[in-house]
Amino acid sequence: MKQFRSMTYPYVAWISIIIVAPMLLIVLYAFSVSGNDVLTIQFTFDNFVRFVTDSVFMEVLLRSLYIAVITTLICILLGYPIAYVIAQLPSRGNTLCILLITMPTWVNMLVRTYAWMGILQDEGIFNTILGFFGIGPIPMIHTSFAVILGMVYNFLPFMILQIHTSLAKMDKSLLEAASDLGAAPATAFLRVTLPLSLPGVISGITLVFLPAVSSFFIPKLLGGGQFVLVGNIIETQFLTTGDWNFGSAISLIMAIIIMLSMWLTRKVDVQVASRGKE
Amino acid sequence: MKKKSGIGSRVILALTLLFFYLPIFYIILFSFNDSRSLTKFGGFSLRWYEKMFSDSTMMEAVFYTVIIAVLATVISTVVGTVTAIGLSKSKKIVQTMVERVNDLPVMNPEIVTAISLLMFFSILSVRKGFGTLLIAHIMFCIPYVMLSVTPKLRSLDPNLIDAAMDLGATPFQALIKVIVPQIRPGIISGALIAFTMSFDDFIISYFVTGNGVNNISILVYTMSKRVNPSINALSTIVILLITLALGIVNVVPILREKNVDKEKRFSPSRKTMAVVSGVLVVAIVGTIIGGSLSAQRKRQSAIDRYGSDTLKLYLPGEYIGEDLISNFENQFGVKVIVENFDSNEMMYTKLQAGDAYDVLIPSDYMIERLMSGGYLQKLDLSRIPNLDNLSDAVQNMDYDPDNTWSVPYFWGSVGLVYNHEAIDPSVLEKEGWEVLRDTDYAGRIYVYDSERDSFMMAFKALGYSMNTDDPVEINAAYNWLREMNNTMSPVYVTDEVIDSMMAGYKDIAVVYSGDATVILDENEDMSFFMPEEGTNIWCDAMVIPANAENPLLAHEFINYTLTYEASFDNSETVGYASPNAEVLEEMSGSEDLYAENEAYLPRSDGEMDEMFHDNRTLQKELSKLWIKVKAEK
Repeated sequence: MKQFRSMTYPYVAWISIIIVAPMLLIVLYAFSVSGNDVLTIQFTFDNFVRFVTDSVFMEVLLRSLYIAVITTLICILLGYPIAYVIAQLPSRGNTLCILLITMPTWVNMLVRTYAWMGILQDEGIFNTILGFFGIGPIPMIHTSFAVILGMVYNFLPFMILQIHTSLAKMDKSLLEAASDLGAAPATAFLRVTLPLSLPGVISGITLVFLPAVSSFFIPKLLGGGQFVLVGNIIETQFLTTGDWNFGSAISLIMAIIIMLSMWLTRKVDVQVASRGKE
Repeated sequence: MKKKSGIGSRVILALTLLFFYLPIFYIILFSFNDSRSLTKFGGFSLRWYEKMFSDSTMMEAVFYTVIIAVLATVISTVVGTVTAIGLSKSKKIVQTMVERVNDLPVMNPEIVTAISLLMFFSILSVRKGFGTLLIAHIMFCIPYVMLSVTPKLRSLDPNLIDAAMDLGATPFQALIKVIVPQIRPGIISGALIAFTMSFDDFIISYFVTGNGVNNISILVYTMSKRVNPSINALSTIVILLITLALGIVNVVPILREKNVDKEKRFSPSRKTMAVVSGVLVVAIVGTIIGGSLSAQRKRQSAIDRYGSDTLKLYLPGEYIGEDLISNFENQFGVKVIVENFDSNEMMYTKLQAGDAYDVLIPSDYMIERLMSGGYLQKLDLSRIPNLDNLSDAVQNMDYDPDNTWSVPYFWGSVGLVYNHEAIDPSVLEKEGWEVLRDTDYAGRIYVYDSERDSFMMAFKALGYSMNTDDPVEINAAYNWLREMNNTMSPVYVTDEVIDSMMAGYKDIAVVYSGDATVILDENEDMSFFMPEEGTNIWCDAMVIPANAENPLLAHEFINYTLTYEASFDNSETVGYASPNAEVLEEMSGSEDLYAENEAYLPRSDGEMDEMFHDNRTLQKELSKLWIKVKAEK
């Protein structure tokens, strides 16, 4: 298959220029003293020391990871059945459903989040409906519930798309073979469908977890600023404090931690995939 | 059994769609809202649509957004798919490397990617605009396509291609006829995600674009500064356009298939090709038209007089009179390119990257920083005769007493907006800033989420200067804020405070005076109060950067802004106090204007009032403490 390998070369060149080179600038900032002038670099570890020595930053990072993990889990739990149901539809309904689920994401995220702010207020739709039953109002806005709801709303479509992709066009004969060999539908699902769809789930996790850790607008607007997450801190360092060096250092630390956790997730993927081939 | 599962899936689908479309219905509903609120309905009206269609920048932004999204999607889908296929046949190490690098744009906070690209482009001294925007979008879209295509490739039978080639297919044929159809669902979902990412991107776009090329997100973000419900109208139009486009794409092939059925069947791959090439043609034609539109007719007389007919203005969002720009353009026969920023620091970042503007409108302390950094040029005061119109209140500003570098644009204060139905004014007069720590009002306050403004109130409440760098005083202020955070369960807000206080969700809020003017206008239960202990009296002023391309026209603009007509328009639209003496008197004197609105006129006799000075070490320290205050549970 050597012919196909050369198809990657242009992209490798492209990412070296447009992703890696600019990223090196961030690494450079992370290891240098304040002042953003690229010409006068003074090497230092201070930015990292500052992060490690003050427990508040570690706490914030852990909280962000925690919220992102919860969001990802909910997205899998909701996304899998939805994707499964859609994949069972005839092909026209299939396409339509996928389009219907993607369409809301084309409305600006800020506008959608403002809408949620209105919906979740004490006078909002949910609490009005609850009010008819004599319940509430239950405070929803500015709680962790609101933050996670906003994140799930924003990222769930990606999870559904990824899982749906791996379920669509799955070789149905495999399932028939399984049932011919006496497997109950549940067993067939667990032993055939689930492993085959796992690469899609992993892709979905990547698409939900990675941006969720560093998300910024949603915790700010729906959490009312009390949910300081690492995305907020990084954002502030660049945009209000103007401390690019510290901001860069935090984002590097975050990147390394996320890389590690993704590496573990993908290991599972590789193991399952190789087991499938045997 | 079949039927039962059918009902189950229908329920799941219905609930899913309800969840996804609830906010969308909400947006559509509120685009017809008569009141300005984004969260409280006040009757039916089409005013926001009128406002939107009369705003040419919005239509332009829609145009750029669509073109960029379509081009970025098509290019990144093709490149991403081809690369993913190549990668699946490559060595493991290459695969891993590329995958890890691809994770970077997905994982990094957008601001990090944005800053890295901003600095990268500025090192290469690329002119920012359509090209850089497109490159950036392609950059972050491709990883999403590859993430969608790769799992599909992995579940592909590796012998499939061998079989095809054994049967005489060339590698290219094997690719197009065998692999691509197998992984089509992955390609489609990759393209959908890429389109979404490009369509919705704000931060990266903001920093890599320039020269008047804006997208919807940049505009929406700017507009949200002042709760402009046109963003709902705009979103509704976008939804409508997308629905139409999808309807056509879905229906046309069906109709055509019916017609062509007997002759020749449209093969699926040809259909895709047709759609893709159609989209490409539209995009390219659009780009050319758009390009020639923005290149526009040059205005010769303006070029003769100023050397160029274009003025680049960089100012905070929603910070200018409704007709000021168009009046200026008509009167002087020039074109104004407006860009907006969210904070002084955001503006400073772009300046550092070497972006050139003709007029900036930063705040007092930032002007100090720009002056000392050599970013500004001295004004030629002989070209600004209207300087005589300045009110006494904005003469002799600390940062620039003789207007050598700057000319005031707006000035104002920071104070408390409170619901006088819920809180007696005498309570505020007695307690001042301390009301924010009065547990009688716990859970009922909004605090402005910025280290600068929060520490300002703490310093003032404690009787210190807000420019202090005495560690003891800083620590006292820190503890003041901590106690507020721990006993009052405050909600930290920025611009969304305007909408929330207009709706009256809480009883007290820390608000900038011009925002307070708008709140008081909209909700008559609200009043404004400036604590006796002192507050921040600030001034935003017009300056000309050292690297301005058109300083002559910049002087003309500054002079024009000081006219009665322009100042009146500014102050009436935005609600901040005018630097123009005549306008200031009229605004604060006439009952039809802001006479009854106590937020409009800042006090100029407060003995404890101050202006911020630029002190970056102090700001870093306060920023760190402010994070600690908020992060504490």
